[in-house]
Amino acid sequence: MLINILEKENLVEFFEAMQSYGEVVAPVRATDNAHRFQPVKGIDELDLDYTRTMIPPKKYFIQPKETLFTFNKEKEKYLEPPSIDKSMVLLGVHACDINAMNLLARVFMEELPDKYYLERRKNSVIVGVSCTPDEKCFCKSTGTDYAQEGFELFLHDIGDKYLVRVGSLKGHNIVKDHSELFAAPEKGDLDAFKEAEKTRLSSFTIEIEMSGLQDHLDMSYDDPLWAEYAEKCLGCGSCNLVCPRCRCYDVQDYINLDMNTGERVRMWYSCMLKDHGLVAGGHNFRPTSMERLRNRINCKGSLREEMPNCVGCGRCTVFCPADIDFVEILQKVRGDIK
Amino acid sequence: MTKPRLGIFSLTGCAGDQLQILNMEDELLNLVARFHIVDFQEGSSHKESGPIDIAFVEGSVSTETDLRHLKEIRERSSVLIAFGNCATDGCVQAMRNGETTLAQRLKDVYGVEPDYYDALESKPIREYVKVDFSIPGCPVEKDEVVKAITSLLHGDSPLGYSYPVCVECKLHEYPCVIVEDNKPCLGPVVRAGCEARCPGLGLDCIGCRGPVEDGSNFAAELQMLLDKGYTEEFIMNRLRIFSGELPEDFLGGAK
Ligand code: SF4
Ligand code: SF4
Ligand code: SF4
Ligand code: SF4
Repeated sequence: MLINILEKENLVEFFEAMQSYGEVVAPVRATDNAHRFQPVKGIDELDLDYTRTMIPPKKYFIQPKETLFTFNKEKEKYLEPPSIDKSMVLLGVHACDINAMNLLARVFMEELPDKYYLERRKNSVIVGVSCTPDEKCFCKSTGTDYAQEGFELFLHDIGDKYLVRVGSLKGHNIVKDHSELFAAPEKGDLDAFKEAEKTRLSSFTIEIEMSGLQDHLDMSYDDPLWAEYAEKCLGCGSCNLVCPRCRCYDVQDYINLDMNTGERVRMWYSCMLKDHGLVAGGHNFRPTSMERLRNRINCKGSLREEMPNCVGCGRCTVFCPADIDFVEILQKVRGDIK
Repeated sequence: MTKPRLGIFSLTGCAGDQLQILNMEDELLNLVARFHIVDFQEGSSHKESGPIDIAFVEGSVSTETDLRHLKEIRERSSVLIAFGNCATDGCVQAMRNGETTLAQRLKDVYGVEPDYYDALESKPIREYVKVDFSIPGCPVEKDEVVKAITSLLHGDSPLGYSYPVCVECKLHEYPCVIVEDNKPCLGPVVRAGCEARCPGLGLDCIGCRGPVEDGSNFAAELQMLLDKGYTEEFIMNRLRIFSGELPEDFLGGAK
């Protein structure tokens, strides 16, 4: 683990240095409940002391809705959109979102290599930042509150300085190329880091027990609780669309009126929507909202290579218009509450 | 290849959907060139009889004349598309359906006897003829019209919007007006396709694209808004501005 110290008074210079690696996108306050990752031109536009964005930063790797390519039938060729190799710096990403992207990276970079995701990740710099949990965060329960990989640099707020962890070779080179901004940590800095971590870890107000959760979900398959929540659920899809871990999408081809050119479009999709389970022949393997809700919670509560499909960011609860509380459902599944 | 014969017809409505076709300035020439147009009141006085491959019908059935016209169009057409919210859901002229009788309304509003006009209670066209596809909206969205037409020309059945406005709202990262401001947004039960235009302006959706028929949960929407202090009368009135005649199973609960 390479550790450096960045004085907060050097933040402006640090920001300017980051601009040389690509367009900087960072959290900016959008509403009372949420921030938004968006391009920023100066350090005064962004807010590193934020809780959560509504839409997670994965939007820069797999975009909410994008044209994958345009095609020309006559010339039998297809063209990719020009924006795919743009360089980018994601500044101020929280540990939960980094861990969520680590899973997406496995899916989109290893299992089913997606050139868009691959190219964009290759051309990006991810700078993490530490955070203070609010009353909806439960990433400590899901074991995703600390990022070990998936970033170039990670800034831990330790008062008037940041303790900076280096997470990749690219990150190492950034520090090397801007060595004037960084200093070696002193004993006091390490103590401050440990204190900050203690404070952070003791700030969580909710928790769910993950141990054996998958089995608890299996055993609750016929529980009346699914129907109870389905009665309240609007089927709006928001919970999936704000989730940093969700990775379902829909693909459609559109032709233009010339009947010769067209485009292939991909957009995020949601398993809470009825036609997510619709297959050829008109069969739907999750025809009721009860089944869709149960499926979503089962997906989130299951493990993938030791990591749950939920990183505990709290977004699905905060942004559900029907006030459906994700953690409350899991606590009921476990029998912690009635 | 002979060009498909296209007819664009109006029943009772504001003709705003036909106007949307004329507003498609970039695509209009290309569109006209692809079809043999047999009827398009708003665009030309030229009219032809004979069979129709694709008929767009806007407006609701509000008179006996509308009904005769509609049945005749259906007989002539291979594919009939309900075009705009009057045709798909009845729109404003149907918003008081079921509250009082038509005869009573004619008396209260116009002071005439029921047989004075050839009026019928305003209904969406699905109440009278088989509809092959619906393009909702008040007015229709140009983009959806072009997509439906290209699908048909390509020999595919067009794809409608089976999901609610919330999906587009999230894809655009618009703040949710329910979550942020407790506004009475109908987005969760209303068809997408407008790119969440109103929430994008900080406004609540008032449902101009009609209900998501399958998979939405109006009972939950109603309860959520009642819990926020809105009255049932307010919510139903709002929903019925553009969808006077709601599909039978829409008002039920979780599906
Ligand atoms: S399921 Fe909910 S809490 Fe978990 S990662 Fe997704 S949005 Fe966050
Ligand atoms: S956000 Fe809430 S209301 Fe919408 S689908 Fe998810 S659980 Fe249901
Ligand atoms: S503002 Fe309306 S349309 Fe948008 S997510 Fe909220 S409820 Fe849905
Ligand atoms: S009222 Fe609703 S459906 Fe109509 S444009 Fe506004 S957001 Fe879209």
